Amino acid sequence: MNSHPAARFDDKPGREVELDVATQDCMIHMGPQHPATHGVMRVLLKADGEILAGAQTHLGYLHRCAEKIGESVDWLQYLPYTDRYDYLAAMNNNLGYSLAVESLLGVEVPERAQYLRVIVAELNRIASHLFAVGTYGLDLGAFTPLFTALRDREEVLELFEKICGARLTYSYVRPGGVMNDAPEGWLASVAAFLDGFEKTWHEYWTLIAENKIFIERTANIGVLSAEQALAWGCSGPMLRGSGIDWDLRRDQPYLIYDRLEFDVIQGVGYRGQVGDCFDRTFVRMFEMVESVRILRQCLEQIPDGEVLHEEVGAVIRPAPGESYVAIENPRGELGHYCVSDGTKIAVRVRVRSPSFCNMSVAEHLMPGAMLGDAAAIIGSVDIVVGETDR
Amino acid sequence: MGVLENSLPESILTTRVDWMVNWARSSSLWPMTFGLACCAIEMIAVGGPRFDVDRFGAGAFRATPRQADLMVVAGTVNFKMGERVKRLYDQMPGPKYVMALGACATGGGPYHKYGYTVMKGVDRIVPVDVYVAGCPPRPEAFLDGLMLLQQKIKRQRVIRAQPKDVIVPQGTEAHPA
Amino acid sequence: MAARDTAWGPMELNRAAAQEAAEALRAAGWELELQLPNLPLIAPEGEAKDLVRRAKEEDAEPVWRGDAFLLLGKAQDLPAVLEHCRDELGYALLYDATAVDPSVDSAELKLIYGLRNLQTKARLIVQARVPKTEAVVPSVALVYPAADWHEREAAEMYGITYTGHPDPRKLLLPDDWAGFPLRKDYEYPEEYNGISCT
Repeated sequence: MNSHPAARFDDKPGREVELDVATQDCMIHMGPQHPATHGVMRVLLKADGEILAGAQTHLGYLHRCAEKIGESVDWLQYLPYTDRYDYLAAMNNNLGYSLAVESLLGVEVPERAQYLRVIVAELNRIASHLFAVGTYGLDLGAFTPLFTALRDREEVLELFEKICGARLTYSYVRPGGVMNDAPEGWLASVAAFLDGFEKTWHEYWTLIAENKIFIERTANIGVLSAEQALAWGCSGPMLRGSGIDWDLRRDQPYLIYDRLEFDVIQGVGYRGQVGDCFDRTFVRMFEMVESVRILRQCLEQIPDGEVLHEEVGAVIRPAPGESYVAIENPRGELGHYCVSDGTKIAVRVRVRSPSFCNMSVAEHLMPGAMLGDAAAIIGSVDIVVGETDR
Repeated sequence: MGVLENSLPESILTTRVDWMVNWARSSSLWPMTFGLACCAIEMIAVGGPRFDVDRFGAGAFRATPRQADLMVVAGTVNFKMGERVKRLYDQMPGPKYVMALGACATGGGPYHKYGYTVMKGVDRIVPVDVYVAGCPPRPEAFLDGLMLLQQKIKRQRVIRAQPKDVIVPQGTEAHPA
Repeated sequence: MAARDTAWGPMELNRAAAQEAAEALRAAGWELELQLPNLPLIAPEGEAKDLVRRAKEEDAEPVWRGDAFLLLGKAQDLPAVLEHCRDELGYALLYDATAVDPSVDSAELKLIYGLRNLQTKARLIVQARVPKTEAVVPSVALVYPAADWHEREAAEMYGITYTGHPDPRKLLLPDDWAGFPLRKDYEYPEEYNGISCT
């Protein structure tokens, strides 16, 4: 538990070489421009032959000073920046930040807004998981999953475009509620999308669970034990893939999640061991099914009414105080630690991003794996570099 | 026909060398897979089934700069990455083109004022041929930028040597008076 | 399912956990203070807008809203306290470790550690203070490996030295970066390696 990458990385590996040949460790730079790093991140791999002896992650190639900006601009002006640290799940980021600001303001948004927030967040979760599974296929050399996943993802983006006008960076969920009510017929088109998606989901599942190459490359690879996942502060599919029953939507319920019925998906060792790369993908796949369940219930329950709290205007002055609010982002626990001194500019906006913590354990899964598995391990973490570096 | 200017009987085609080479270059741009940030997701969407960049001959995304002739700088470049961007650009074989996709690559974008590590535009380290506006640009804007670049390539002279690595101000080359 | 009392989570549960942990840690002999917010979680009608103005007018005692947290008397106790929380109180997961610079005038930096208990579903925030001029604090990366990257980030952003950290390199900033960006008195650089920053 207490061993450390630096110590392990610089020491001579403890592996005994059986053949009587002189071997030399080979350093391989993976990234920052490498398609399998999902952005710009550098992993320095130490390979002994084809077996990895260690890995060291280097971050910072997309550090965009989000936290400094958070304490330089207005509370509301910061909202568009939240879109940009996890650009695959921008609705969820808006939601996390908005809830943190509301916790300092002490306002609960109207019911209809809470339902709309859950609807867009879950739609975004489907889009993000589709992209994660699709690009993971690409990492392993398969093009088909990505192109089919993009097809359904575009449908979700179309829904978002109808409700807020943007494809990727929405700023739709804002402190005090949501930007505007759903246009007429929008909820019906969500229902229509769900009907279609339930059918195509089986296509994706077949592409993955029945694909021998995919199974060979992910099952029993990069096994993350439950103890390791806890010690390294993992969250989301990374934690649940290792068999830990933890989901903030159920265990620290926010918005109206306590009125909804859904299961928390855990890794079960479907094709290999609990906590391997396949299990993490398994969790993502079945979370999409749960999201569909949640969405159906929301569409049934959503009441009429206002969507923006009347006391929250353009300039926000939250009460002084400190507050940490976390939500379940597609990648895990997205937390905002906001400190206010009662003025219109924050003292501190700390972003606890799920990819950052999940990535910190990836380098510990590398030793002993084959060189080709490095891409499989990094891909299974599903990082967004905008979020690890902020 | 339309592809080549004149055609004689017995399968003999005549054309100008400039025209021929530019036609080939502009219709088979090979971009480098170089996603930096948010804009990269839109770049991938352009490669996807709905927008299908293959229609413009630019769908062969290469993972290595050695095989690419278009570098799409899709996202925010910071100082730590800037060094690598320059190195990747230097590795590309000529003729090579750069597209600055989105507000960040063009001029720092939303990070211009408070982003202490953000480079305020990628044109400070590599010459840029096309700037595409948006944060992030829509896929249609990406395609528009691509077509502008193709227009620019079609105006190039192949036989006569032309100066390399000169930043051409936007609007003078792609939109001749 | 834990009880939800606000739209942003079960705050009463977290507050009760903080009180419980404070008693347990005091009983174990550590010096600490329990800081409880004095404003209600949900603002009464009309207050969200006017609170700050009224607070200024009346010149009343300071009010604050949000999370309850434990403030340690000595920052040197951090690793031992967190180890106690992990082993005795069941806080198995460290979700965040960071720092806050309250203002330019403040002489101290606040260190913030967030812990989660997966059994009781509660979370706990532990804080400590270090002087800005001599920001040295023992690392908790050996207690919770999760703190490793968080502390490296806080170190480069605030200029805090974590003694005993197993890998004290810079994480996000370039190796030759000068200054600590998240300090309130940080001055933006003019240029970096010959490239203008403005």
